[in-house]
Amino acid sequence: MTRYGMLINTKKCVGCYACRVACQMVNGLAPEESFIAFNEVEQGAYPNVYAEVVPVQCMHCEDAPCEAVCPTHATYTTDSGVVLVDEGKCIGCKYCMAACPYGARVQIEETGVIEKCRFCWYEGEPGNPPRCVNTCISGARIFGDLDDPESEICREIARTNAQPLAGDLTAAKIYYVR
Amino acid sequence: MYVKEALMSSKPTRRTFLKGTAATAALAAVGTCSLGAWQAQRAEAADDSAKAQGPSLCNGCSSKCGLIATTLGGRLWTVEGMEAHPYSKGTLCGRGHGAAQWAYSDGRLTQPMKRQNDGSFAPISWDDAFAEIGAKVQEIIAEAGPEALAVIQDPRPSGKYYSKRFMNALGSANVYTHAAACNLSKESGIQEATGATNFSVDFANTKMVVFIGRSYGDGIRPSSVKSLAGAADAGARVVIVDPRLNNTGIFATDWVPIKPGCDIALLLGIANVLVTRDLYDHEFVEQSCTGFPEFAAQVAEYTPEWAEGVCDVPADTIVELAESLAAAAPACAIEPSWRAAFGCAYQNSFETARAVCAVNALLGCWGQKGGALITSSPKAGDLDPVKFPKVPEPAAKRVGDEEYPLALAGTGTNLAVLNGCNDGTVQGVFFYNSNAVQGYAQPAMWRVAVVAAKLVVAIDVQMSETALASHYVLPECTVLERFELPEFIGGKKHFAALRTPIIERVHPDTKSCDEIFTGLAEACGVGQYFPFTVEELAEAQLATVGTSVEAVREAGIVELADPGFAFGTPVFKTPTEKFQFTSAKVAEAGLNPVIGYVPRLVEPAEDEFYLVGGKQGIHSHTMTLNLEALNAISREYGLERLWMAAADAAELGIADGDTVELSSSEHTGTVTVKVTERLKPGVLFMPTHYGSTSPYLTRAQGFGLNMMDFVPLHLEPAVGSTMSQEVAVKVRKVEG
Repeated sequence: MTRYGMLINTKKCVGCYACRVACQMVNGLAPEESFIAFNEVEQGAYPNVYAEVVPVQCMHCEDAPCEAVCPTHATYTTDSGVVLVDEGKCIGCKYCMAACPYGARVQIEETGVIEKCRFCWYEGEPGNPPRCVNTCISGARIFGDLDDPESEICREIARTNAQPLAGDLTAAKIYYVR
Repeated sequence: MYVKEALMSSKPTRRTFLKGTAATAALAAVGTCSLGAWQAQRAEAADDSAKAQGPSLCNGCSSKCGLIATTLGGRLWTVEGMEAHPYSKGTLCGRGHGAAQWAYSDGRLTQPMKRQNDGSFAPISWDDAFAEIGAKVQEIIAEAGPEALAVIQDPRPSGKYYSKRFMNALGSANVYTHAAACNLSKESGIQEATGATNFSVDFANTKMVVFIGRSYGDGIRPSSVKSLAGAADAGARVVIVDPRLNNTGIFATDWVPIKPGCDIALLLGIANVLVTRDLYDHEFVEQSCTGFPEFAAQVAEYTPEWAEGVCDVPADTIVELAESLAAAAPACAIEPSWRAAFGCAYQNSFETARAVCAVNALLGCWGQKGGALITSSPKAGDLDPVKFPKVPEPAAKRVGDEEYPLALAGTGTNLAVLNGCNDGTVQGVFFYNSNAVQGYAQPAMWRVAVVAAKLVVAIDVQMSETALASHYVLPECTVLERFELPEFIGGKKHFAALRTPIIERVHPDTKSCDEIFTGLAEACGVGQYFPFTVEELAEAQLATVGTSVEAVREAGIVELADPGFAFGTPVFKTPTEKFQFTSAKVAEAGLNPVIGYVPRLVEPAEDEFYLVGGKQGIHSHTMTLNLEALNAISREYGLERLWMAAADAAELGIADGDTVELSSSEHTGTVTVKVTERLKPGVLFMPTHYGSTSPYLTRAQGFGLNMMDFVPLHLEPAVGSTMSQEVAVKVRKVEG
């Protein structure tokens, strides 16, 4: 089976927001709406400080809490593991927003639909690669098949010991190098 | 080829398409969209014939990265970085994506405007604007000569050609770039030492690189970030010298916090160690340099202990850096920087640039693998003099060149125009793509200066603070709506690229740069120097380098003849044809010819702070502040905040998110504070570009502070840079 996932290497992210704006453009989002949030983390005390930017978006969880609570089954998971929203079924109740531990669901003002990152899924396939990966200026993002041990993403996860953002909070499919 | 399979296979979503066409904008406006209408539109959008792609060059900053734009039904949908362009290398930064949407911004100028007696602006036709400007120009020439006219421009492919040709055709040599508020000191200093105005680090092979204030992660060019990321991956030592742990810190092995404006002491301390401990490259110094004995004698004073006293970097650190550089040499370098800490910041910026070059010379890294590389740039050859008539050399010298002889010839110092307006030597000023009034020096002083001028014309896409201070404002169409002259790109390889129109002009009453300057020239009686279209000129220029508009348009970018770059000691194009530890020109300007110490000018008092500024990756100074997508990021993440060291905040009882009043000798303003461990105590950091005062830029106006408001007006001796960080400030907590 194909199981899509992403790796984000914060040791390469300079926080340029290219992923955010490219994502907004391809998805037609308003300037204030974003599928990616940025968390600036500062550790240590002057002058021994480590600072990183941690981009957070839908983790496409295997056991997606947003999908479990959706009363209309608008949120669903494709065979290849991408969590999507059926716009026609979404009633804008915001249960998913409350359920998502990553705060990754965003209400679209124009339609009322509670949307999120869809790995640039359009006509039956994810983007190849998604726009956030395609435009990353430092190669901090890798997209690919988590079930293919030979894929670039699997090799990088193994090499860097990349981990989900919050342990086993959910079975997330975005891995982080931090 | 620029067409990417991935993009071609993707299809727009419902919302993408709803936003993607002008026709559906009307539907959205009334708030209804029937299912049937949506299905019809979706079918149209799914039809690839509605989709088109074309190449252009980004205008988010002056890097002009190659981009591929995709439109749906004639409206811009997405942009992506051009693979073959040496600056984008397949990706665009956030600013690039945001700036691509400029055509649709609600902050644009849509028609020519004229300032009224009450200070407000009213529309005027192009014909009337050109005629009135032409008459005023003639009046100024009749009364004071053409040397009373000037143009200031932030270089863009068409702008740098047309603005200069226009001014020279009128008989004036007064052509200036933005450089005095950017990289003038750095480039002038590098030129005095090496003969070149810039150099690059060979990141692919370097073992150690030292950044002085510059941050690739904040003043972004994608290729630079990629190069550095690659070097870091390969295990290079990356040292960041900066009072602030900037956004390049993620790649750094070392952060060396330093007292602002004192980088020169660190560099001279390193030079002292290299010379006195005999760690320098004798062969290079003896064969390729001039003035080393004088430099060595002088640098003996600059011991690491002395340097520590000036710049507050421990002497042990200075010794260790020098020894490590010597061990890595010649595969190491001090990075050349850009605006940052010595582009135009301090009284010693020119000299700091020379000191950077001196350390690289001692390391023998000029032209070496992993070291400091001087490369060449292509340019168009001579054109048919009948079709493109030569403009006579203006009789009078450029205003300011005498007082500021070390300013780079290609840029001059635009602050000479400010002074010239004040003393009456300059009476007519044109600004192209330049927000000088807000960004180049004290805005209050600029306003006083331009009020004194008889004619001020601003050419811009938006009502900048400079436009607000002008008599006439001429609206340019935005980057993806226009064709421009070729951009020639230098480096190890040479390229030519073009801006080509991707979308129709959204506002039909805007014009492109070439149309505006040609119209101005005709109105001013010098139309005979512009008997060609921009396309004809582009074709002729490209023919001289062996390519064509069609070829560049088709491929997006064309590689030109191989300049034959090779590693090895470069030819130094200085008057002595050697690397210059001493400079006759610097001596003639009345300064110490030997590279040495110059202090910063302004020192804070006991209760004051140093104030340093810096760019953020999503903005290009004041230019991009009002763009919807980028302004939203600034607001969501509080990017306008003033950074304060946690230790200072604790002492002053200031918490993260508090509002403070910041004041200098020139200005007072309030702003929110970001408390951080990423800053040297005693120093405040302010993003330089916020605080717009233009009511036309609705989302930028009044958001954050403009650093230049706080900095007293004074020019770097002999160079004429704006000394953008020679300021001390007080800060106190106020109720938010």
